[in-house]
Amino acid sequence: MSGQVAGAEQAIAERLMARASQLLESRRPAEALPLLERLHHLAEVPARAREARAIALLAMGRFGDAADAADDALGVLPGCGALLQIRGRARLAMGRDIEAMDDAAAAVMADSADNDAKGLLAETLMKAGKPDEAIFLAWRVAEALPQDMTAQLRLAQAFITGGRHAAADELLAALQARAPLLALPIALRAQNKLLMKDATEAERLSRTALDRGMVEVSLHSVLAHALVAQSRLAEAGPHFRAAARLAPHDAYLAHLASASAGGTPDRATDAYVASVFDGYADRFEADLLGLGYRVPGLVRLAVDRWLAETGQASIPGPVLDLGCGTGLVGVALLGLTEAGLCGVDLSRNMIAQTRAKGIYTELHQAEFSTALANLHGRYALVAAADLFCYFGELGVALASAAAKLTDAGLMMFSVELSPEASGWQLGDSGRYRHSLAYVTATVRQAGLTALSIAPETIRQNAGMPVEGLFVIARRLAC
Amino acid sequence: MSAALQSPFDAAIAALSREDPAAAVPLLRQALASGEGGAYAELNLGMALTALAQFNAAVPHLRRALLALPDLPEPGVRLGVIAATRGEVAEATACYEAVLRRHPRHVPALAGLAALAERAGALEQAASLIARARAVEPEEPELDVAAARLALASDDAPQAAALAEAVLHRRPTHVATAHLLARALLRMLAPAEAQALLDQRAAAAPLSPAWALAQGFAAAELNQLERAIAAFRLADLIDPDNPDIQLEFGRLLAQQDRPDEALVALLPALAARPANLDLRNLTATLLWRRHRYAEMVAMLQEGIAEFGPHPTLNLNLALVLNAQGRQQEALEAAESAIVHAPGNIAALVNRIAVLPYHETRGTAAALAAAAADIAAALPQPALLQTTPRGPRSRFRLGLLSGGFGIHPVGWLTLAGLEALPEDRFEITAYSLRPRRDSLNTRFRARAARWRDVTDPDDAALAQQVHADGIDILIDMGGYGDTGRPFVLTHRPAALQLKWVGSQFATSGLPGVDAMLTDRWETPEGFEPHYSERLLRLPDGYVCYLPPSYAPDVSPLPALGNGHVTFGCFNNLAKLTPTVLRLWARLLREIPTARLVIRTHALSDPGTHALARQRFAAAGLPLARLELHGGCPHPEMLAGYRGIDIALDPFPYTGGLTVCEALYMGVPIVSLAGDSFAGRHALSHLSNVGLPDWATTDAETYLARAHRAAADLPALAALRASLRARVSASPLCDAPRFGANLAAALEQAWAG
Repeated sequence: MSGQVAGAEQAIAERLMARASQLLESRRPAEALPLLERLHHLAEVPARAREARAIALLAMGRFGDAADAADDALGVLPGCGALLQIRGRARLAMGRDIEAMDDAAAAVMADSADNDAKGLLAETLMKAGKPDEAIFLAWRVAEALPQDMTAQLRLAQAFITGGRHAAADELLAALQARAPLLALPIALRAQNKLLMKDATEAERLSRTALDRGMVEVSLHSVLAHALVAQSRLAEAGPHFRAAARLAPHDAYLAHLASASAGGTPDRATDAYVASVFDGYADRFEADLLGLGYRVPGLVRLAVDRWLAETGQASIPGPVLDLGCGTGLVGVALLGLTEAGLCGVDLSRNMIAQTRAKGIYTELHQAEFSTALANLHGRYALVAAADLFCYFGELGVALASAAAKLTDAGLMMFSVELSPEASGWQLGDSGRYRHSLAYVTATVRQAGLTALSIAPETIRQNAGMPVEGLFVIARRLAC
Repeated sequence: MSAALQSPFDAAIAALSREDPAAAVPLLRQALASGEGGAYAELNLGMALTALAQFNAAVPHLRRALLALPDLPEPGVRLGVIAATRGEVAEATACYEAVLRRHPRHVPALAGLAALAERAGALEQAASLIARARAVEPEEPELDVAAARLALASDDAPQAAALAEAVLHRRPTHVATAHLLARALLRMLAPAEAQALLDQRAAAAPLSPAWALAQGFAAAELNQLERAIAAFRLADLIDPDNPDIQLEFGRLLAQQDRPDEALVALLPALAARPANLDLRNLTATLLWRRHRYAEMVAMLQEGIAEFGPHPTLNLNLALVLNAQGRQQEALEAAESAIVHAPGNIAALVNRIAVLPYHETRGTAAALAAAAADIAAALPQPALLQTTPRGPRSRFRLGLLSGGFGIHPVGWLTLAGLEALPEDRFEITAYSLRPRRDSLNTRFRARAARWRDVTDPDDAALAQQVHADGIDILIDMGGYGDTGRPFVLTHRPAALQLKWVGSQFATSGLPGVDAMLTDRWETPEGFEPHYSERLLRLPDGYVCYLPPSYAPDVSPLPALGNGHVTFGCFNNLAKLTPTVLRLWARLLREIPTARLVIRTHALSDPGTHALARQRFAAAGLPLARLELHGGCPHPEMLAGYRGIDIALDPFPYTGGLTVCEALYMGVPIVSLAGDSFAGRHALSHLSNVGLPDWATTDAETYLARAHRAAADLPALAALRASLRARVSASPLCDAPRFGANLAAALEQAWAG
């Protein structure tokens, strides 16, 4: 009798597995998953079901669960290349780039002929800032799979990441000719043109595609950016909004859409700031240094002067670095933060990179005001380098930061300078700019005395200097 | 004993005991003919036929059995069940009561009577009957199900849940009970808690269908369609061939607009449950979606023969007959539904949906009268309080349609809406049908807010529109397939308009303030046929968006073929006998000419055969006729490369079809009537500067076709220039249309 029951169960399990596989093939992972979950509850879970469950979760964008499911399946099928790839993809999507690279490399070792594994490894190498190796691998895959659009686009992306824009353009033009109604090659080509400082061509490409009825978030987004690059913010608005509507969960686009709609929020949303930097963390440092980002250096100079004036060897108390990014201020203050260095940033990826530097004694991934509310110490120096460009209204932020200063402590921060005589505005790039009058008044209202408000070129953008103010202030005596 | 040695009667009883009534029927007939089994053969034959939903055939046998076996409760109960299924409440009650007079403890009669009481809302009486039955048969799960249902109806959800769960432990495939359990739990607990409880049960018994079913129902109640579909699929895989599960699974797939998968589930379910009218109508509408018209007609006619002129069966029959080009029969079916269900709104809407196609009765006056009948039958809902019209720098514009995508509504409105100034009009789309295609993506990119409407309640939808603060609401669905025009009768917005989307006549509705139209569709003097104010746009009333994949215009095929090819790519519903006879005359008069008819209905073999008969009967020479079924849109457009002159049908003229023919370089001969549907072609032809191709009577129509066919160089020249002409005309000038639409809306707002 029990044998019959087991036989019946076996038959049902086989039906479930077969249908789940069919559903995965027809790209209905959300409908496959419940079948696989049921199989997962059986006394003996088929190995295929474990793997299929990881595939379904990955396809549904549940990356953490997908990585766990792949782990679970790897327990039964150790070293399985397909599972390593699933876990690698999930980890890559979560920003766990190094682990993702390990998985991809292991998958390539498991089967050196597996082009998917090589493709994944190429993607992780791009993320890891190793464009030459990424190009080499992506090239091999693209050569092996000449008809595979994903492989070709990956190679183009690798070229772009490696700064080989002409090669990317040539490849993308060929792909565009091959599949003239496909939006992605055109959007990527336009993006590449934008990086090549050819906003006109980027605009032409994306606009032509949209006019031909192609619809894709990236086309609207790149067109909007191309228009912004030509200082045509008003025209960009509808395209930022269209892109945001098509990608309703993209905080970056939502911010730009709302910023371009005229109803300027008084600060960028946390989700926006986090998404911007989660996306750019790996290139942030190189970009900023490459762009002539001067603020950490200005902080160092100011601190050196301060220490010389007071005859101290190091900063007389702990340092708080708000919006620490990848830890450039910490690098600049190397050797001067004996009493401790605490960093705060919204972006998990940024914090991870900062931690890797091993300079900071304390790190918090948190929103600015939450972090300040939870930090109970006082700091001899509070630095906010390139943070307040994400705030319109500065009063509350400055006051709460000032409250963390020791009596003799200093606050140092930068803002981008508004060309207007007063107030603050949202600029073309989605950053806020503040006027000298506004900063001067707000510093005072925040309970600070300005020791210096100096005009400085705070960084370069597209070869053009971005003018700003570098402020050094101390708490008003009670 | 082997079957060969059994008597027909014994073999029939054996067949019935293995639930195979179809096998039992001929055996019982054989037994009756030979006198074997006597009244019991009558009874069993009646029962077998009832199981096969052949009620008409079953009734005489059951009546004879009732007379012959007066002490036996079965014949009376079966007659009661048939009467109840047919909605004959008095007859059913009489049958059950007669049984109970002789057998007061007869459980099926008590249960049948309880079901009738429940249906009539007499819950206490129903509960007392069920209690009597349970006292007789305390172990019968069906009675527990009834008790659970009544407990839930009396707001005792915990009792309902407890009873339902107990039944499911004994009968894990009992679908109705799983539904009850889900509803009871959702009544008692927060949705997440109810679902967590069911997930727990499922994890403990992963291969029990009961929990999968309850999970499915809970998800469906919470509008989590994907999750619900997954759960029902699971139940179906665990317990395949269970028609009740197939029905629920198919119903959800149908809701998700997945007709092919739904039919896979529902066709076997209907074979097993032929008496389920809800299932029959649902399956019929899916066959409709897949253009399987002949099967649909057969299924509905069989239903009407067995179950009587049930209104929904007739409504669906009217639609499908119309789609096959049988306009007269369609209108008869629609009117029969009205006769059998006076005041039934669905029946009145159904009539106005088929009326414009009718060759003599599809007039503006008749349509206005039909619309007025709908308005008169509608209950007067409480009106929502809208903010008064005042100056606005920016309007909230609501669009209500199931056609936001690759659909005539999409091709005829999207470009204009994209060009509507965004700083003056913020769009909220109320999408009545799930769509995912390139045009749908463009609609989504243009709409500041997107609402996928799933609630079938018009009042709730009106409330949503009102809560969204919509200033101007445009109905773009009308009395069509997915339309929800009655939402407007709740007055959710201060200004409410009708535009493209089954825009074939007046709506007749008090909530529709104005209709977007043009001077060709509704010239001065047409006002009496419309309850709406006529808001005439300066050019045409639509803005055509040509598909990017449209193939190039070919040279005139007649120059290579040596003969003229006429073509019509409209629905068969538009091809009336008069139209067909006129075309037959044209082909007689031009003996070398050919006619190509291309439409999706011709893909259906039964409809194809029927169409050929109709065409032949109208005198069309079949040898010079080319019939094609449906094909992908680019291919359909490419079909115009083989057409020299398009022939428009009437009184329902082509709309999008005209735009497509013109864009493909093919001019179209048309005949304008007085209804809105009868003047689409006139509007589009006039808008591109070809008003002389729209005629006013059959003789001029023929003459226009002759003139075009006789001057091939002129036709070739026109063809070569037509795409450029259409593209440059106001028909495709989106910026111009957007500006005009904006001005018209602002003007209408100002009053």
